[in-house]
Amino acid sequence: MKAIANMKQSMAEFKAMDAKDKRSKVIDTLLNNAIYILLVIFVIFTATRNANFIKISSIVNIISLAASSLPIALGIGGCIVLTGTDLSAGRVVGLTAAISAAMLQASDWANKMFDTLPEMPIPVVILAVIAVGGVIGLVNGFFVAKFSLHPFIVTLATQLIVYGLILEFYMLNGNNGQPISGLSDKFKNFVTGTMFSIPAGNGQSVAVPWYVLYAIILVIVMWFIWNKTTFGKNMFAVGSNPEAANVSGVNVFMTTVMVHTLAGCMYGIEGFIESARISSNTAGTGLNYECDAIAACVIGGVSFVGGTGKISGIVLGVFLLRIIFVALNMLSISGNTQYIIKGLIILVACSIDMRKYLVKK
Amino acid sequence: MKKALALALAAVMAFGLVACGSTSSSSTAASTATSTSTASTPAAASDVNAAVFYYNYSDTYISSVRTALDAKLEAAGIKYTDYDGNNNQTTQNEQIDTAISSGANLLIVNMVTSGSSDTATSIAEKAKAAGIPVIFFNRAVEEDGNEGAVLSAFEDIAFVGTDAPEAGHMQGKMIGNYLIENYETVDLNGDGVIQYAMFMGDASNVEAIYRTQYGVEDCDAVLAENGKPALEYFDAGNANKYQLDMNGAWSAQAAQEYMQTNLSQYSEANGNMIELIICNNDNMAEGCITALQAAGYNDGKGTTIPVFGVDATDSAKALIADGYMTGTIKQDADGMAGCITALASNVAAGEDLLANTDSYTKDEANGLDNKIFIAYQEYTGE
Repeated sequence: MKAIANMKQSMAEFKAMDAKDKRSKVIDTLLNNAIYILLVIFVIFTATRNANFIKISSIVNIISLAASSLPIALGIGGCIVLTGTDLSAGRVVGLTAAISAAMLQASDWANKMFDTLPEMPIPVVILAVIAVGGVIGLVNGFFVAKFSLHPFIVTLATQLIVYGLILEFYMLNGNNGQPISGLSDKFKNFVTGTMFSIPAGNGQSVAVPWYVLYAIILVIVMWFIWNKTTFGKNMFAVGSNPEAANVSGVNVFMTTVMVHTLAGCMYGIEGFIESARISSNTAGTGLNYECDAIAACVIGGVSFVGGTGKISGIVLGVFLLRIIFVALNMLSISGNTQYIIKGLIILVACSIDMRKYLVKK
Repeated sequence: MKKALALALAAVMAFGLVACGSTSSSSTAASTATSTSTASTPAAASDVNAAVFYYNYSDTYISSVRTALDAKLEAAGIKYTDYDGNNNQTTQNEQIDTAISSGANLLIVNMVTSGSSDTATSIAEKAKAAGIPVIFFNRAVEEDGNEGAVLSAFEDIAFVGTDAPEAGHMQGKMIGNYLIENYETVDLNGDGVIQYAMFMGDASNVEAIYRTQYGVEDCDAVLAENGKPALEYFDAGNANKYQLDMNGAWSAQAAQEYMQTNLSQYSEANGNMIELIICNNDNMAEGCITALQAAGYNDGKGTTIPVFGVDATDSAKALIADGYMTGTIKQDADGMAGCITALASNVAAGEDLLANTDSYTKDEANGLDNKIFIAYQEYTGE
């Protein structure tokens, strides 16, 4: 009801404007929502060229692809709100994926990495990867907060360190850099097993994997943390102006450390999911994941200016990138062109976002 | 508090430096130990200080070469230091300069920029200036049709690797023969043509380019000999006829995401299922199998789509044993490491770099005595 009242009011305001104001108001609204408008046009265009794009199996595919890259984006979003970034994210995903895989290999797999290790209970593994991710995040946060280093530098350093650890890990116990696969069915079913099936007509059904549910849970948890907790409010305060936050009694040090730690925990969960989803883990797993995650956040309006951003924006950004990926494939566009299109979309989306911000200033 | 922290940081750094130092000195110590304990080892062996440059530690196949080569060099009593080029030619060139200035007297190089004679020439010139031999391995040093541009232009130079197009040729033939034997089973929709998908690891790598090309061409040749129509790419709109890992990482993740997306429009029930999958390497093949299994294929119960890779990694072998994957091409990591060690031992013994190498296959077509090929092998299970 309130929304309708608001709309009525803004319509009334709009009518009261003179012609020139009206025009600029329309242009503003269009530009501010350009990303949504472009998305709708893009979806309609793709659907007319390839009707399969909007069929149920394709939609489920997009949703599950988006779900798989949500945890890392949700984590990295917090770092961007603090005007920072996190370059170590992808490698942390790689390390935690390797750990999950090694702990959950089927006991009868021929090339089991730790052959004496019994199959671990899944909750133990989840806690372990969250802890590993959290510790790396803690280190990131500590150095950022304690020495006022830019997160770019700190996370660049940890990225290298973590990559070294990954390479060492794959060499352990005579594994000699071979992929870690042969995961136990229990693990695979827990992550990629069928949560429920949607009938897609012609007697087929499309399976929705469990990790979609996990992504939804994480979105809800993160939404709660960002919007309903003191910690979340402090994060935005520190992001928009650390001095002001400090003067108003916010513990800037703790907040920064906590944001990075939380991000690390999310990478741990991402690693756990990716490990089962890809099910063949190599030292290259997780490479460049942070790029897509950062792009998704920024497209979704989590600004590098700091202090602004919404969980819904991150979800939208992740979906946008995945829709582009699927659509370009369904349009049979070559890999070379895909780079260009993806780059242009990121550039346009971010320019529109910054424009909004510049106008406000 | 601050001082304590600074002290702790300094301690960590010092520890890091010591730790780095100790790894290299321990390998040196170990090799000296072997050379002194085995009196039969020629005394010269301990004088050789080999520097081994890998293009990227995270590459599965290269990791198995590294493990094998480390062990064999150690056994031969040759001192060595490993370097990780981290997929960056500039990094590798700098490492080579550093190694030469720190006293390396044998270079063993796995170039980052595969198939570039310019890069190879600049490395060979560094070696020549320092008066030391150089052994290239694994990745091609010359463009196709430009054979001898590097290898015949320098003294004390050798190449140990694979004939880049061979894996593609072999994969294509293996697929062709498999199809001839199982044509009816593979042709799910019974239209007489096999619809295939191709996954490419890296757009700028000659091995990937050859595998993508010959994997299909040679298969078509076998099919044509047997009166069958050529393969047909499953997506008529895709002019490239492959799907590419955009990170150039030959990764399972890229293949899995492409395949999952493909499977959302192509399925057995729709009568347009992809009937054959060809991958540039085994990681990508594994990614495809993961996507297939999630959609109810290749799980031992329903339809099995034949999937082919290259490398014969341990996990691919296990998948083949379980019947989820059909075949791969084995790159012989052990054989390559053995050949490199033989050349390095020649240097250590003060003999000609290429002494006693007549048993190896060489590039006779171009008359290059110093280009040694380690053969690929088909692998379809033990």
